[in-house]
Amino acid sequence: MKKSKLTSVLAVIMLILLVATGCSSGTSATSTPGAGTSGAEKNASGKLDKVTLQLKWLPQSQFMGYYVAKAKGYYKDEGIDLEILPGGSDIIPEQQVYNGVADIGVTWVSSLMKYQSQGWGLVQVGQIFQKSAMLLVSKTSAGINSAADLKGKKVGSWFGGNEYEIYALLEANGLKKDTDLKLVQQDYTMNQLLNNEIDAASAMTYNEYGLLLESGLKDSDLHVINMNDAGVAMLEDCLFVNSDWIAKNQDLYVRFLKASIKGWAEACADPEAAGKVVFDADQSVSLSHQVYMAKEVAKLVVPKDFDPANIGYIDMDAIKQTADLAHKYGLLTKPAVISEDTVTSKYWKEATAK
Amino acid sequence: MKNKVKNLLWPLAFGIALILAWQFGVFHKILDLKPFQLPVPTEIASTLAANLPKALKDCGVTISGALIGMIIGSFMGFMIAAMATFFPKWGYGGMIVVTALNAVPIVALSPIMNLWFSTGMAQKIAVVTVVCMAAMAINAYSGLNNLNPYSIDLMHSVAANKWTIFRKLRLPNSLPHIFTASKINIASSIIAAIISEYFAASTSGLGFGIKDNLRKAEMAMGWSYIVVASLAGVILYCIILLVERDALKWHASQK
Repeated sequence: MKKSKLTSVLAVIMLILLVATGCSSGTSATSTPGAGTSGAEKNASGKLDKVTLQLKWLPQSQFMGYYVAKAKGYYKDEGIDLEILPGGSDIIPEQQVYNGVADIGVTWVSSLMKYQSQGWGLVQVGQIFQKSAMLLVSKTSAGINSAADLKGKKVGSWFGGNEYEIYALLEANGLKKDTDLKLVQQDYTMNQLLNNEIDAASAMTYNEYGLLLESGLKDSDLHVINMNDAGVAMLEDCLFVNSDWIAKNQDLYVRFLKASIKGWAEACADPEAAGKVVFDADQSVSLSHQVYMAKEVAKLVVPKDFDPANIGYIDMDAIKQTADLAHKYGLLTKPAVISEDTVTSKYWKEATAK
Repeated sequence: MKNKVKNLLWPLAFGIALILAWQFGVFHKILDLKPFQLPVPTEIASTLAANLPKALKDCGVTISGALIGMIIGSFMGFMIAAMATFFPKWGYGGMIVVTALNAVPIVALSPIMNLWFSTGMAQKIAVVTVVCMAAMAINAYSGLNNLNPYSIDLMHSVAANKWTIFRKLRLPNSLPHIFTASKINIASSIIAAIISEYFAASTSGLGFGIKDNLRKAEMAMGWSYIVVASLAGVILYCIILLVERDALKWHASQK
């Protein structure tokens, strides 16, 4: 009896110790971002300014420009010590940047507009992807040769804001999203399409489409609906910041953008090397997939007839189209306010001035 | 009677005070939040009122999945406990397996079930079934086996067979335990159903609504789904309590 009492007391002590160590490591982890933001003020003493960048997704070639610039020391040259925070399915860059966990965030323009419309003080300060990478992919056997053929099919989307290009595509082709077909939630693999559980799946040119090719399918086995061709493209990866933060850190952001543009230009000129840099930074997926992604992302950042010196340029017509589509198809309840307070090219102009 | 009113009044007053504090920004001040990060109760209520048909439909999807899964899971759990009682030598192995299954987190189970079942409903029912099995098996087993020694002696003295002992002694003895397990399961089945909807290949249900709206900055809509989910949980819990009161009139706990 006595012995068992001793054991249980010991067990409880061990539990308490476990909780205590868990908490202490927790607090040290949360205190770092705070230190990061306070250290972000410009200092002339040669010490590096700390900046944190929140990615929209896992570390991958989608963000290769920042990884290349970091690896090549371009941020250091601008006096910046950049920390890159990976994203994930439940990490929302808008909330991270607003809460001060990160200084600068990467997100999709439509998603940012939604947050802005709800009153979040965030401002877009750069546009990295000039084109939409969203595709609707189906096996040729499903017989979906045009958007109109989606009638009566099962179509996958990731939702959470990623569904609006599909809504726009359907409506533009006279299909009602609630009655003419079945929209289902797609996971982050392509298994639902491969196992024929859905007829058409959302896919990014640079990621999921590559997964299909890697699984043994050929381009000729697949039919693709491209949102750019369908005229319903919405802008994706952009850079944004907290309005309060940028008011105090304009110069710091311009230096960040300069280094980033340099990194992106180099990455797009040699995607193969950029894929390797990303792979070396974080082995989240295979090297060949990173290289594939880098090549596809390069086409979005520097499309045909686009001057690489203009990387980061905010195309206001494309912004307008994104805002109109987002409003028309229900993401925004009222039209987006497009002003210097929500989208500004000011810093990009400063960063690219010769 | 007076005590009953008192017992009701205190929690009620506390709840109202909490909602008022929320409405008038006390939490916002303490946690340094803006109303667009944490919507106030009136905004949640008006959003819910405006979207009631959709919210109720989604609630129906979640609850039916949770209930079907809970019934299947509880039945299987009870059968495992009965097996372990009837055939202690090999039946007890089932109890150990079920206890081990209980340790598998729902967040790991959901994506796996997603690969096994093609519809969101089937996936949800499967997850809830697994989650509900263990609590029922463990509780029912202790109810079927922790018997009053005199009762079992009496049964033996009149040469009752295994089946009679089960029907006349073990089963009634296990009823309070089964209701305890049901009360645990009703809460966990709703949680399991909601979490499984985070991953499911469908766009209906409370879980999908909560996740989707919170990601899209529709905080008030997300919160109204949370309100519906907790109301549904409370109502189902009360139903179980009522059934228990009726079924266990003879038991000491109900007097």
